[in-house]
Amino acid sequence: MSSHNDISEERAARYIAVQNSQEFAELRKTFRKFVFPMTGLFLAWYFLYVILATYASDFMATKLFGNITVGLVLGLAQFATTFAITMIYARWADRVLDPAAAKLADHMERGNLQ
Amino acid sequence: MNTLASGWGLLAIILVCVATVAVGALGLRMSRTTSDFYVAGRVVTAGWNASAIGGEYLSAASFLGVAGIVYSLGTHMLWLPVGYTLGYLILLVLVAAPLRRSGAYTIPDFAEARLSSRRVRRIASVLVVGIGWLYLLPQFQGAGLALQTVTGASPAVGSLIVAVVVLVSVAAGGMRSITLVQAMQYWLKLAAISIPCFVLAWLWFRGGQPLPSLTDPGGPFAGALPAYPMREHPLYATYSTLLALCFGTMGLPHVLVRFYTNPDGPAARRTTVIVIALLGAFYLFPPVLGMLGRIYLPSLPAGTRADSVVLLLPSAVTPGTLGDLLSAILAGGAFAAFLSTASGLTVSVAGVIDQDLLSGAMNRRLGGDLPRTHSFRLASLVAILIPYAASWLAPGATLADTVGMAFAIAASTLGPLLILGVWWRRLSVTGAAAGLIVGGTLAMGATVATLFGVGRGTGGWIPVLLAQPAAWSMPIAFTTAVLVSLATPRSVPVNAARAMVRLHAPEEVTARVRPPAG
Repeated sequence: MSSHNDISEERAARYIAVQNSQEFAELRKTFRKFVFPMTGLFLAWYFLYVILATYASDFMATKLFGNITVGLVLGLAQFATTFAITMIYARWADRVLDPAAAKLADHMERGNLQ
Repeated sequence: MNTLASGWGLLAIILVCVATVAVGALGLRMSRTTSDFYVAGRVVTAGWNASAIGGEYLSAASFLGVAGIVYSLGTHMLWLPVGYTLGYLILLVLVAAPLRRSGAYTIPDFAEARLSSRRVRRIASVLVVGIGWLYLLPQFQGAGLALQTVTGASPAVGSLIVAVVVLVSVAAGGMRSITLVQAMQYWLKLAAISIPCFVLAWLWFRGGQPLPSLTDPGGPFAGALPAYPMREHPLYATYSTLLALCFGTMGLPHVLVRFYTNPDGPAARRTTVIVIALLGAFYLFPPVLGMLGRIYLPSLPAGTRADSVVLLLPSAVTPGTLGDLLSAILAGGAFAAFLSTASGLTVSVAGVIDQDLLSGAMNRRLGGDLPRTHSFRLASLVAILIPYAASWLAPGATLADTVGMAFAIAASTLGPLLILGVWWRRLSVTGAAAGLIVGGTLAMGATVATLFGVGRGTGGWIPVLLAQPAAWSMPIAFTTAVLVSLATPRSVPVNAARAMVRLHAPEEVTARVRPPAG
């Protein structure tokens, strides 16, 4: 029983070491610095579309060519931006987040956590 | 609809039901152990998993409702199909990978893993079951209406068929078969909507009909969909709906389960990316059908809901066999939508009922002899029977309203719990519980008030605020959880640091910190 407690206490200590390490803090900061502004930005863009659709229906009904209106083009652009944002995030996560996480894992392994 | 057309429609619906049960049985033969039964043996690849999520998510509201809304309100409404995918984008960037790393299988599991509190777990369980039931109710009602539109049968028949098929496939196959069934349902639904859409668009192009008039909110189409909650104060109603979709999707009972079947955080991310692509592809078609409806169905027969425009369109474009055939394909797809959403919800609700409510009680009574699969089957029965009975007791509620409310309640309770749990280390047990209780009470109170018609017809702000509560109930829930947590720092769980590392560090780190199993 006591050896079990030793193990779990050692585990807890190591978790706290990771949590307190600068590298882990930086990993989370990198993530927040990219993700939170991006979330805000794309929400603003969707909400702008809704404002236009509600209050600027004349503008949205402006015909660009034939029966193709500004509203239709902006509406389809919403589909396109959803895909674009998804791809941007996924590529960023592969390029920046995963390598940073792998480095943290490596440093933990060698015991030289910063 | 004529007899031949209803014959085709009935055949399509029967084929969909038979295919669902058959694929479910195939899954049953493959699931051998209890753990396979529950989590698909964790061998599900990102592509299958994403198809399954898409299949489960695309309910009747997507298949019939979006086209109906674009038909009656114009392309102004394109924010709605985009909004349905938006929830997954928020889920992807904010919680997908951490949720997978948490190792949680259900939201109550997450609550317990993050906060080490049985009490918060219990509250989350009650909410999951409540939201699941509320979301199941319109699936049964919608199935009844669809079968009635196609064959003229009483609405009771359609809902009974869905209840029985779902019960059989869930209770027999468990999670593994459901993953297969759901993945198949996505592709079935995509085919069922895209093929008729391409054929009809081609006939329109060849027929040289004019382009539809796309934006005339005051024109003859307005008001064709009295059920839609955009009655007054449209900007508030729209924002509130969008907020509910954005932050409610992650809290829906049948969503988190699918993240557990990913091998690691990056795989959870890949799955979500594919989900967004699949949903985006699907949602391109309903608006096209809605716009074609504007050309060929300038007015709907009296007493017909705009939701049925998809089913009526083919015969209006090309009367005769081709039209009947296309209608039948669309009817089959709509039924697939009811079946898949209802099964996904039933598995999740049954999982929570089994794990958190039934197993304990049954083990106490029977001394733990009951096999796990038996109690899961009993839980499935309970999970289906109650909303099925409720669909009889509350026939007045409209489909779009009920689904919207399930999203609003999720966004006011489980959404904040997940976001704060993943991102805020100082979340305390008391704070989390207070947020869940306050958000849940407000959103559910608004739902009950709306179902009973409080303030209906008065035309003021009150019915709008009650019908679309997310814009006020969600901020109140977040604020309550944060303020109470700050006031009760001593109830921050002692292992919060460890939980945060597990959520945010890559799997390799956690695997190395944890001692080897056994």
